[in-house]
Amino acid sequence: MRTRSVVVCVMALLGVLAQAQERGAYTNSIGMDFVEVPAGSFVMGRFQPECAAVGAQGNVTEEQYEACLQMARKAAREGFKVTIGKPFYIGKFEVTQEQYEKVMGVNPSYHTAAILGEAAGKYPVESVKWSDAQAFVRKLNAIEKTNVYRLPTEAEWEYAARAGAEGDTQGAKAPEIAWFMNNANYRTHPVGQKLPNAWGIHDMLGNVWEWVQDWYDNDVVPTRPQGPSKGTEHVLKGGGFHAHSKNIRVTVHAGGPGSVISTGFRVVMEKR
Amino acid sequence: MRTPIVGRRIVLPALALLCAGPLCSGAEPGKIPPGFQRIFNGKDLTGWHVSRSNHHGTTLMAKVDKGELVIGQNPIGEGGLLLTNKRYKDFELYLEIKPDWGCDGGIFLRSNEEGNAYQITVDYLPKGSVGSLITEGIPALGGTGPRRPPDWQKIWKKDDWNSFLIRMAGEAPKVEIWMNGEKIVDYQDDKNHALGGARDGMIALQQHFTNPTTPRSVPGGVHRFRNIAIKELNQP
Repeated sequence: MRTRSVVVCVMALLGVLAQAQERGAYTNSIGMDFVEVPAGSFVMGRFQPECAAVGAQGNVTEEQYEACLQMARKAAREGFKVTIGKPFYIGKFEVTQEQYEKVMGVNPSYHTAAILGEAAGKYPVESVKWSDAQAFVRKLNAIEKTNVYRLPTEAEWEYAARAGAEGDTQGAKAPEIAWFMNNANYRTHPVGQKLPNAWGIHDMLGNVWEWVQDWYDNDVVPTRPQGPSKGTEHVLKGGGFHAHSKNIRVTVHAGGPGSVISTGFRVVMEKR
Repeated sequence: MRTPIVGRRIVLPALALLCAGPLCSGAEPGKIPPGFQRIFNGKDLTGWHVSRSNHHGTTLMAKVDKGELVIGQNPIGEGGLLLTNKRYKDFELYLEIKPDWGCDGGIFLRSNEEGNAYQITVDYLPKGSVGSLITEGIPALGGTGPRRPPDWQKIWKKDDWNSFLIRMAGEAPKVEIWMNGEKIVDYQDDKNHALGGARDGMIALQQHFTNPTTPRSVPGGVHRFRNIAIKELNQP
C-alpha cells in the first residue's frame, strides 16, 4: 500500500514537472528565467468567513454561533471573474540578489553571506520598497530593450500563482511549495528549492512577500480586477519566510509597507 | 516650581471642569506614572496605524469611543494589529485594558510591521492566560525567570479596567511586568529574539483572528484600552 502511494506521488510529481517543461520559457541577458502564462480566466475576490461550531473549545454558545453566521453572511463576497486576454511571461523565480545587483549596482538585502553563512546571490532580494522595484524595472527595460518588463498586476499575480487551481486551498500544500514560519527557520532561502506550481513557477507563496503594481485599497479582498487609481500603499502578495500559514494563500490581499527584510518582488515580461 | 496656594485653588477646579466632558471620561488623569508621555490622545488614532500584512487580519476595526481606544474584528473572523508609528528600543509602557470575555488579544513589544514580536498575552477566554510573556512569529524564548503567571485570575479585575506596567530594556531584553501593581513577570532573555536582530520595534495591540478551528473571539467582541503612555529609557 505504501509502495503504491509512493509510486503515485512520484508519477504526480513527474506529471507536474513535465507540464512545467512544456510551457514556454525564456531567459534574458541578466539570467532571469521566465515562464509563459496562458490566457484564461479565474474568480478573484471571493470571501466567505466561517464560524466555529457550538461548544468549540468552550468558547461558542448557540447565540454566538447564530450571531457569527449572520455576520459571516453579511461579510461574504461572491468575487468577480477576471479574464487574462493574452499570454504573458512571469518570473519563474523571485528576483535574486545577484540579479538585482547586476541591474542596480547595489544590494539592499539583510540576508547577506555574513548572516547566512554562504553566498547570498541566489537568495531573493529583499528590503526593497515598491519604488525600488519600479526603478529596477526601468533599468532592466533600458538594458534589455527587446521586451517590456514591469511588475505584475495583482490579478496577473494571483492568476499565475493559482496556475489553474480554484478556491483558496493551497495552504494545505504549503510545506512542499513554500518557505514560511513553519519551515524557514526565520530566514530566506535560495529561490527554486520548493516544488513549483502546475505552471512551473516557484515560490509564489513564501520566501519573500512580492510587490505588485496595484495601489492597496484597505479592503479585505479586491473588489475589482484592477486596484484604485491612487492610494498610499501598494499591494503585497504571497507571504514571506516568517509569515503565518494563514498568509500563505494566493488570495491574501495585503498592503505595504510590510516587514522590510521579507519584502521582494518578481517581474512579468511582454514580448514585443 | 511649587504652585502658589492661590494658583492651585484656581487651577485644580479648572482641571476638574475640563475633565468633566466626554473626552476625559476614559482618561482618569493621575493613573499614569510620573515622567510618562501619552501615546494615545483619547480623541483619535494619531500616532497609530493598522498593519496591512499581519496574519490575524489586515482590516482591523480600530476606533476611539468615549476616550477609549477600541479594537475588534472587521469583518467577522479578521482581527489584526494596531501599531504605533514610532519604534521604541528600551522603555516602560503603562496602559489600562478592559477586554470582552471570550476574546484573545495581546500587547506586542518590539514588533515589526507584520507582527513578529515579543508578546504579552491577553487571552481572556476559557483556558486562556493573561500577562504571560511569549513570542509571536519569532524564535521561542530560552531565558531565565518567571514569565507565565499561574495565578493571574487572582490579580485580574473581572469586567473592569486592569493596568499593566511593562519594562523592557537591553539587547537581550529583561522584561518585567506588573499587573494591577503586582509583579507577575521578571524575565531575562538569553539573546535578542527579535526578527533580524532588530534592537527596536513598534508597540502593537492585537485582536486574534477566528475560524472554525480557532474560536478565539466572540462575535462583535472588543478590546478596550486607555491611559496608554510610555517612558523611553537609555536615551542618548
